[in-house]
Amino acid sequence: MRGLSEEAVDAAIAAGAGYADARAVERRTQHVSTRNGQVETVDDSESAGIGVRVLVGGAWGFACDGRLDVAGARDAALRAVAFARASAGSGRSQVSLAPLEPCRGEYRTPAGRDPIDVPLAEKVELLVRAEKALRHKSVKVTEASARAMRERRAFRSSEGTDVLQEILECGAGMDATAVGDDTVQIRSYPSAHGGTSFQGGWEEVEALALEREAPRLAEEAAALLSADPCPPAVTTVVIDAEQMALQVHESVGHPTELDRVYGTEAAYAGTSFLKPEDAGTLRYGSPLMGITADATTAKGLGTFGFDDEGVPAGREPIVEQGILTGFLTSRETAARLGSGTGGSMRADGWARMPLVRMTNLHLEPGTGSLEELLDGIDDGVYLATNKSWSIDDKRLNFQFGTQIAWEIKQGKLGRLLRDATYTGVTPVFWGSLDAVAGAEEWRLFGLTNCGKGQPGQHAHVSHGASPARFRNVQIGVRS
Amino acid sequence: VSTALDLAARAIRMCEADESEALAHRERSGLARFAGSQVHQPTLIENASVLLRVVRGGRVGSASTNRTDEEGLLAAARRAEAAADAAPPDPEFPGLAPPGEPAAVDGHDEATAALTPEDQAGAAWSAIQAADGIGLFGYFTSGETELAVASSTGLAVSQALTDASVLALAASDMESGYAEACSWRVGDLDPAAVAGEALDKARRTRNAKELPPGRYRAVLEPYAFAELLFAFAYSSINGLAFIEDRSYLSGRIGEQAFHESLTLVDDGLDPGGLPKAFDFEGVPKERVTIVEDGVVRDVVWDRRTAARAGGGRRSTGHALPAPAQGWGPMPMNLAVRRGDATMDDLVERVEDGIYVTRLHYLSVVDGRDGIITGMTRDGTFRIENGGVTTPLVNLRFTTSFPDLLRDLLGLTGQVTRVSTADFYDDRYPTASLVPGVATESFTIIGTGSGPGL
Repeated sequence: MRGLSEEAVDAAIAAGAGYADARAVERRTQHVSTRNGQVETVDDSESAGIGVRVLVGGAWGFACDGRLDVAGARDAALRAVAFARASAGSGRSQVSLAPLEPCRGEYRTPAGRDPIDVPLAEKVELLVRAEKALRHKSVKVTEASARAMRERRAFRSSEGTDVLQEILECGAGMDATAVGDDTVQIRSYPSAHGGTSFQGGWEEVEALALEREAPRLAEEAAALLSADPCPPAVTTVVIDAEQMALQVHESVGHPTELDRVYGTEAAYAGTSFLKPEDAGTLRYGSPLMGITADATTAKGLGTFGFDDEGVPAGREPIVEQGILTGFLTSRETAARLGSGTGGSMRADGWARMPLVRMTNLHLEPGTGSLEELLDGIDDGVYLATNKSWSIDDKRLNFQFGTQIAWEIKQGKLGRLLRDATYTGVTPVFWGSLDAVAGAEEWRLFGLTNCGKGQPGQHAHVSHGASPARFRNVQIGVRS
Repeated sequence: VSTALDLAARAIRMCEADESEALAHRERSGLARFAGSQVHQPTLIENASVLLRVVRGGRVGSASTNRTDEEGLLAAARRAEAAADAAPPDPEFPGLAPPGEPAAVDGHDEATAALTPEDQAGAAWSAIQAADGIGLFGYFTSGETELAVASSTGLAVSQALTDASVLALAASDMESGYAEACSWRVGDLDPAAVAGEALDKARRTRNAKELPPGRYRAVLEPYAFAELLFAFAYSSINGLAFIEDRSYLSGRIGEQAFHESLTLVDDGLDPGGLPKAFDFEGVPKERVTIVEDGVVRDVVWDRRTAARAGGGRRSTGHALPAPAQGWGPMPMNLAVRRGDATMDDLVERVEDGIYVTRLHYLSVVDGRDGIITGMTRDGTFRIENGGVTTPLVNLRFTTSFPDLLRDLLGLTGQVTRVSTADFYDDRYPTASLVPGVATESFTIIGTGSGPGL
C-alpha cells in the first residue's frame, strides 16, 4: 500500500502538480443486527482503493480509483491533476498550506481482541441474548446491533510524509420500542441511533453489558406509554452525558470547524456564527464551560497517529473558562487564519477528499455527582438519551428531543415524562451552564453518522461528557 | 450484456449456497464543488463493487467487495457463506426474488454519460460567472451509474442510469438565496439560470426581520416541500414502520387523512423523475398510490415486509440493499399530483403568512404523529395582503406534517424535480416530483440567525 501511495504522488508531481498526497485504504466492516428475535443482518464487507489529492497552480483536484494497484494509483493521480487544471478557472484560487515537518511513522489502535477476528457467530449470540432480555409485553419492537471495523491507511505526500496506520473500531447498541394506543416510545442503550462505538478491541463491546441493561430499558419503554407528556416551561434542566455528547457535537463541534467559519460548507452543512477573529475573545458560555479537541483520547473514534494530511495527533483547548480559544483546522485553513498547524482533516474512506472534521471533542468534567447536580433544584427536569436533533445552518438555534425525562422536585427525581424537547440559542444556552458533574460521571460516546461534504461523507467521532445543569431553558415545545 | 450484469453473474458463480444473489454497482462520476466562487473540492470517483447475499440451510448472510477479479469475488463469496453460517435459520426470510421483467424505463442519456471532468468544471464555472458580484456556493455534478442484480433463481436485470445536477447558494454576509436543478439529461440543465435564480432570491433577503412564534399560513417552494415530504416518507411511507405501528399511516388505510387535492404516488417508472426499473433485490418497480384524493391507500414494500404483512401482499420494488434492510423499504421516486395554481396564486390565497424557499436539518420528532422540526433558510419572506413583502430571519419550525397536508390551500400546476440525493456512499441518484404548496398550518416556534454566511 505504501508503494502505491508513493507511485500516485510521483505520477501527480510528474504531471505538473505542485503538491500531491495519496491515501491507499483497505477497510473491512462487519455488521450484525437482530430484530424481534430474528437475525436480520450478518454482513462482512470490504472496500479498498486510493484517493489522490493535488494542488495544480494553487487549485485543488481529487480523484480516486477502486483498483488498488499501480494502474489505479497512476490513473487517479493523472485524473486529479486534470480536474484541478480544469477547475482552476481564472486562476484566482491560490491555496497555501501551513508548514509541516515531514513525518514518518506508524500507528495502530491499542486493542485486546481485534474486533474483526471475533467470530461472527459470537457476535450473533451476544445480540440474541441481549435482545431476548429486552422482551416485554408492551414492547413491540426489539432491536440489537453490533459493528466492527479494521481500516489500514497508507498516506504519502510530496513533502516526504509517509505514514501507515491501522484503526480498529467496534460498537453495539439496542432499542426497545413500546407501542400504545396513542403513542410510540423508544428507549436505547448505551445511546440512541445504533448504539455507541469505540476504537479498541471487542472487550469494549462486552463491557457494555447489553444483556444486563436490557430489562431496565424494556421497563422504561413500557412505562413511557402511560407517562405524561413533558409540559412547556422555562426551567432548570439537568442533561445526561449521552445527550450532552450530542449537544457538544452540534453546538460546539460543528461551529468551530474552521472551513465552516470560512464558508466552504455554506451550501450544505452550513456556516458558523463564529468569526475567525473571535478566538481569544468570544464568550461561548459560562466560566464552567471547558471544551477540548483531543485526537489522542484512548478509545475515541477520532483518535489517530496522523490525520489525513499527515499532521501528528494533538490535544488543544477549544473553549477555556467559557472563552473561545481555538478552532478545528486543516493546513489550508490554518494558513489562512495565520495560526495553528491543522490536524483535524479526515476523509471517509478512499473515495472522498479529506475535510475539516471533529476528532474527539470533550466537555471537560466539573465536580460532584449527578445527585449533587440535582441537589438544590426545587423544580426542574432531567433529560436523558437523544431522540431527535436539529440545529440551524450557523449553529445557533437548536431543538433536541430526548427519549425520557423525569421531573426534579426538591432535588430528587420524580414523575416520569415522555416526548420531552428543549430548545435554545447556542451562546445563551451555554451561558446558562451552572454545573458540570465530575470525572466519575464522565462517559465517552462514539458516533459513526456525522454527515458533511458534497459528495457526502460520514465521520466517526467521539465525545466525552458528564451530566450538566442549565438554568432558564425552554422545554416542552411541540407543534 | 452489461458490464455490471457480467460482474453480478460472475460473482454468483463463486458461491456455494442453496441460493445466491449479487447486486453489482458501477460508478463513474465527477462533482465540481465550489465555494466563494472558486471550485475548491473537485472530486472524481471511479469504482465497481458487488454485494453478495447467500442462503444456506435457511441461514442468510451477505458480503461486499470492490475487488472484482476472481480472487476478490471468491473471497467475498467465502465471507458471505461464513456470515450465513454464523446466523441461525431465519424462518421469516421470504427467499430471493424470482425472475421478473422490469419495465423498460428511460433514465440514461449518452450526452450526460459522455461529460468529461473538463465539462463538469466548465458547468460549475458557468454557474459561478452568472452570479457575478456575490459569492456562489454549491456544485455541478454528473455521473453514470450501472446497477445489476443476478441470482441463482434465474433473475438477471440491469440498468444504466445517468444524472446531473446543479445546486447554487448565492450569499454574502447579509443575504442568501438558493436554487437547484437535476435531471438524467444534462441538456435539461442550465447552470447559469440556476445561479441566476439563487442570486435573484438572495438580493431580496437583506434586512431580514424577526417573526413571533405561532401557527402561520405558508407557501412552500418545491425545494422546501420535497424535503418535508422525504422526511415524512422515511418514517411513515415505509412497510416496516407501518406494520410495527410506528408510521403515521399505520391503521389509516382508507381514511380521508389529508386534503382531497392531495394525491401522492411513488413511481420509479415516470420519465419525468429519475427513473428506476427495479429495486436492490431486482424486483421490478411498481407505481404505488400512497394517497389518492386525500385518502390513504398504501405504503411501499420489500419482499420481507410484504411477507410479514401477509394478506397476499407482495413487494412493490422498494427494497434497500440487504445490509440496510433494517430501515425498511423506502420510496425514492415520490411524486405529488400537480394542482392548478401559480406560485403567485398561492401567495394570494395565503394572504397573510410566510413564504419558504428551503429548509435545513430536518428531524422527525415523533414518527407516529408525523411531527417534524427544522429551520428555514436562504429565502424566507413575510406574506402580507396577498403579496410577498419583507424578508425574514431563519425560522425554527416544529410542525405536524399531516396537519400541513390536511390543511392545503393549493398546489401549483407546475411540478419540479428536486434531488433527494446527497451522494453519500455509492452513487444512487434520486429525486421527487413536487409542486409548490400553500397550507393553512405551519407552526413556527422560534427564530435563528439572519440570511447570509
